[in-house]
This record gives sequence, C-alpha cells and structure tokens, in this order.
Amino acid sequence: MAATKIAVYSVPDLKNTTDDALPNYLTSLKFKQSHFLTDVRLALGYSAVVIAAITFYADYKLGWDKTKYWTFWAVLLYFTLNGALTFWIWGVEKGKVFAGEVDHPSVGRKSLSIASSVAKYTPIYNITVEYTNAEGETKTLRLSSPFTRWFDNDGFFVARPFQQWLASEIPLIGQVDPKNKGGDAKAAGSANGKSEVAVPVEQEKYDTPKKTTSSDAAPTGTKSRRGKRG
Amino acid sequence: MLGGLQPRQLLTQLLNFALVLSTAFMLWKGLSVATDSPSPIVVVLSGSMEPAFQRGDLLFLWNRGQDTQVGEIVVYNVKGKDIPIVHRVVRRYGGGNEPLQLLTKGDNNLADDTELYARGQDYLTRSTDIIGSVIGYVPFVGYVTILLCEHPWLKTVLLGLMGVMVVLQRE
Repeated sequence: MAATKIAVYSVPDLKNTTDDALPNYLTSLKFKQSHFLTDVRLALGYSAVVIAAITFYADYKLGWDKTKYWTFWAVLLYFTLNGALTFWIWGVEKGKVFAGEVDHPSVGRKSLSIASSVAKYTPIYNITVEYTNAEGETKTLRLSSPFTRWFDNDGFFVARPFQQWLASEIPLIGQVDPKNKGGDAKAAGSANGKSEVAVPVEQEKYDTPKKTTSSDAAPTGTKSRRGKRG
Repeated sequence: MLGGLQPRQLLTQLLNFALVLSTAFMLWKGLSVATDSPSPIVVVLSGSMEPAFQRGDLLFLWNRGQDTQVGEIVVYNVKGKDIPIVHRVVRRYGGGNEPLQLLTKGDNNLADDTELYARGQDYLTRSTDIIGSVIGYVPFVGYVTILLCEHPWLKTVLLGLMGVMVVLQRE
C-alpha cells in the first residue's frame, strides 16, 4: 500500500498515504486499534442508503400515489440520518485516523488517538494527538511536519523517518518504540536485542521496495528542499 | 487499487458513492413530497407550447391547490403513455362538489388535445391525470436531458464515470 508512488505535489495524496501508514505503524507496535468511530459512521451511512433503496424500490413497484405517505417519512428519516452522519464526521471524528490503546510492559495500559489535517496547498502534515501520560492524565499535543520528511523525491513513502518523528515527538510512542525515539535507530536496535527486536523486522513491510535507493536519497533531498524553504 | 484497501476503507469508499446517488434521489423525493407531485421538474420535449416554452426548457411544477383555472399551464399524463405533456387549460367542467374536469390545448397547436387523450377520453380529471401546474421555468438547461433521452448510452457513461471517480478518488 505504502509502496505505491504518489504525486509529490498533490497534498491529498501525501495526506492519504501518510494517514494509511499511521495505523500500520502503530498496530505494528502492538497498539490495538478501535474501529468504533468508523463503525458508527458506516452504520449511520448505510442505514440512510438502505432507506433510500427501499424508497426507490417501493416507488418503482407501487408508484407515487400509494407510496406518497411513507415517502414523506422516508425523506425525513433519510435527512435526519444524513445530518447525524455529517455531525459525526465533523463533530466527533474530526479527522481522526487512529484511535486505540496499548498494553505494554514499559508503560502499562494507555490510550492514544491521532487526528490529522492539512491546509489546502500547504504540504505540511498537522496532527492532534491525545494520549494518557505516565500519571494517567489525558494530554493533547499538536504537531506539524513537512511531508518532505518522509517522502522522497520520487514520491515514495519512507517509513523510518516518519516513525522516528512520531516516536521522538510523542512520549507514549517513544516509550513503546525506544529504537526510533533517538533518531539513531540502527544503533539502538542492535544495542538492546530484547523483545523489541521483532518490531523492526515487521516494519520492513511498510518500507518501499526500493529501500536502498530511496532511503539514501531521502535525507539529502529533504535537506536541500527544506533549506530553500528557509 | 481497490485490492489494497482494508475492508472498512473499502466500505467507506463505497458508502461515499452510495450517498451521492441516494442523496440525489432523496432530494428529488423530498421535492416531490413538498410539491405533492410525482415529477416536480419536467423538461419540455416538443414545440407545441411555443412561443411560451421552447424545447429544452426546464419547468417547475406545483400540485397543491386543486382548483385549476382556465389559462393555467398544466402537465398531465395520459393513461397508457408515459410521456408527460405540457399544455394550457382552455375549458373546465365541474368543480366544487363534482370532480373537476379539464380540456387542454397546446398554444402552438391548431386543435385541442382530445386527439392526444386515451381512447374514449374527452377531458382530463384534475385529481388523477394532472401532475402539476407550471410555476416557474428555466430556459434551455433541460437540453441535457433531451440529449440523455435521445442517446440512452450517455446515461450509462455518465453514471459509470461518476461511480469510478467517487470510488477511486479521495477528497
């Protein structure tokens, strides 16, 4: 999925690819993803669609005069459900791309949710992170990073810098994934070869197939472009 | 492209497509309920009402208030024919306690519509045959519909394009 090449100048492409990579990374760290938000959205949406389908079928079979009365209620119910769906997407989901919790020996049971957003034509990824810290309080973090950090010049997603960004900026992820925290992934990974050794192997899946070329090219390309931006 | 998606992502994409279609349909039905007409917007298909209406004009109908007067332009369906006709009321019978009956004629036609009605029918019954009175119109925009009607394959192409776009594209 992440291995597909995207158009680097298309902000929606950048955002969608990154949105898809986020749950992949977190579930590889043994975060358990909760699909509650998506499931409610699907339930609301498909109920509305089913009502419209029934109305369509009844109208097709029986004609207008016989269905007139029920069509009124169907229209009312349809737009109520549609309104609820809109409210759910704008008021409750608010761009959440991940919600879940982790039960890890180093942190215990903690919850985490990440919402992402971009401004139109601005290639900067903004995330709002809510997580429980060591004291059990809910903390909110707002982070931003240019997409050039984890997309190479050819439009391939490079997992490692993205994971390092999350692990170093979000304490909870850093505790669960200490190898990516310092930014010096290889040294840390080989230094403590305990239970976490399995994780980098799993992450290979999300790297691009052209790993050798792209991850080499990424840092230089990133640097020069960011330099020009000032 | 679709193969790589998670089931929930796939369902969400399909939902977006289904919502576009169903919302369009339910808006139409909502308008039907509001105007009490099975077909609240129609397109003029013939030149029989020139110069009032041209081919391709879009008409908005209202079907509440059943006391139709002479001079009103109505849209009616003839039993056994499924093309609605837009013509002007030229005579009315009954009304009040009796069922209202109407005779219509196209402004651009020489004779009244008796020829167009079903066999043995000499007038229209207001409550069953009429689907609404014209309350407004937009010239020319209905031509798209005429094109779609005359070339039905265009409909399939349009629907297919819409589907492909909504399913494959995010944002």
